[in-house]
Amino acid sequence: MKKILLVAVVFTTSLFSQNKQVLYDFADLPQTLLLNPGLENSYKFHVGVPLISGISTQFGSTGVVLNDLFAIDNQNINNKVSTVLQSLTTKDFVQMNTQIEILNVGYRLNEKTYLSGGFYQEIDAIGYYPKDLVILFSEGNDAYLNKSFSASQINYKLDVLGVLHAGITRKVNEKLTVGGRFKIYSAALNIESTNNSGTFTTVLGADNIYRHYLSNVKMIERSAGLIDGNKEFITKPETYLKNTFLKGDLGVGFDIGITYHIDKQLQFSASILDFGFINHSKNIKNYKEEGNFVFDGFEFQFDEDSNVDYWQQINNRFKKQLPTTENEDSYVSWRPAKINMALKYSFGEKRSEVCYDNSYQDFYTDAIGAQLFTVFRPLNPQLALTAFYQKSFTKKLHGKVTYTIDEFSAYNFGLGLSAQLGKVNFYGMFDNLLAYRNLASANSLSLQLGLNILFN
Amino acid sequence: MKSFKKYSILSYFFIFFSCSESLDFNQLDDYVSKPIFTAALTYFKVVPAKFFDSSGTIQRNSVTEITNFDVLQNQFIKDNLVKFDLNAQIKNEFDRDATINIQFLNANNVAVYTFSPIFIESKNTNFIYLEEIVITANPTILSTTKIKITAELENTGIQMDVNDPSEFEFKSSVTFYLESSLK
Repeated sequence: MKKILLVAVVFTTSLFSQNKQVLYDFADLPQTLLLNPGLENSYKFHVGVPLISGISTQFGSTGVVLNDLFAIDNQNINNKVSTVLQSLTTKDFVQMNTQIEILNVGYRLNEKTYLSGGFYQEIDAIGYYPKDLVILFSEGNDAYLNKSFSASQINYKLDVLGVLHAGITRKVNEKLTVGGRFKIYSAALNIESTNNSGTFTTVLGADNIYRHYLSNVKMIERSAGLIDGNKEFITKPETYLKNTFLKGDLGVGFDIGITYHIDKQLQFSASILDFGFINHSKNIKNYKEEGNFVFDGFEFQFDEDSNVDYWQQINNRFKKQLPTTENEDSYVSWRPAKINMALKYSFGEKRSEVCYDNSYQDFYTDAIGAQLFTVFRPLNPQLALTAFYQKSFTKKLHGKVTYTIDEFSAYNFGLGLSAQLGKVNFYGMFDNLLAYRNLASANSLSLQLGLNILFN
Repeated sequence: MKSFKKYSILSYFFIFFSCSESLDFNQLDDYVSKPIFTAALTYFKVVPAKFFDSSGTIQRNSVTEITNFDVLQNQFIKDNLVKFDLNAQIKNEFDRDATINIQFLNANNVAVYTFSPIFIESKNTNFIYLEEIVITANPTILSTTKIKITAELENTGIQMDVNDPSEFEFKSSVTFYLESSLK
């Protein structure tokens, strides 16, 4: 056991993260089926309280916190901004993810099969820090001769969507449970620009004092659901809300997961979530800039016989050599796929709980383990490693503490609680507890809350 | 049940009693971005033949060129430009002195700013020129839409050799000093 845990820890020590690590495989909550459809449960059926069965929100920012800029410290704001901008790197980013469950229900079909489904809305956004672009616009190019300002640092993606899902959890045998979930995405809004390239460089020239290069430029900015057919921004929130209910751009995706009992106390589980895509075809507006352009200034000819408009000449050459094109072509955007893996060792007092069929199921009161989470983002996968301890105080009251290393913090402690009063279950998960001492200095915050009606 | 109460209280604690240091978002009102952009402007390299008519027999003592220049019509630049520099590097290999006159014109071809004449002595091959224009002192310059440059040669009374390979070279750049706030 120790060896297995050691291997798991060593294998994942160099990894970082951001996720729902407290909720994952916790207290048989129905919402854990959205993190791994192959997790076991003992319900006859469940109903999430509409709109409040699952509310989760996460916000993260690497490299800068509110306090860095807005602390009341009598420092000059220009100096503070300059310090922050210089300290940030192109790998720093800001991201936000919010999910609200509109509906979450489940029903046990038979001894081995549990069906679950529902609908939730999600906002998911990430933007990397385009350091060169920020420096160029905040300081200019005058002090940066020979520096190539890179467009490849422009990476952002925003999705607003609704997700209709149906899943099945199937117990294959005493050791193995598998699960799958089919999702239909309805995107109300997508804005993205990734995989850009190109540089802007100013050098000392030969023919003139300076020469400017725009080299190997290839930039694409896509949007769906943002600009209507009259080329006006869609500003009504109800339009976005309506489009999340299967009236937006549609897509499909899958979740798959397994739980495997290595022995009576050791369990391995894993899942792949949101392996899917959305085909954007409504209210599309895409822009593309591609080409090369070299500018030395206006070369005067002093030719009496011609009346050259040098400005127009340069404009025409720019439009020809580095054109900006618009189109309304449909495009596909992939959902940010996620991977969860966990190894859990249960121990402590052995108890029994009543199952859906009035049989009894043994469980241990305590468990420790490690979880690994990965989400595939535009620039690179984000990783998180979590160690956890969970305890069942009673059959109806469960707690979980986590310690997570991720890109936001190496001191991320989380706490979760699930309590059931009669058929009503309440759960709350709080991540990065130390940050609650001073939210202004927090790099990340994450919480999940919800109410369910459970029938065991 | 005691545990339930205990953990419920803990949950409420995190939701409602988290702390945050006082922050002053109004500081951003004082933020001023001060980028400095440098760009190539006009350039030319001429030999004495350029000052002769097409027959190559009659010398002119000056040549003039005008181009449109719409940079100062950009609203962001109009609103935030506080100063700009005109830089020039000039080489005069000719056997006579030369003068460069630069004017910024508006859409009606009326001069809205005239730079001090740039006088370059004969055989001076490394003449450096800089003129700083403060916008508050010269607000009409923001209506510039054209640049006019005149190269004028000293009238020595002796005509230049049309086949002389010596060069007169003019290079220039502008440096824009912008100041913008978030207000």
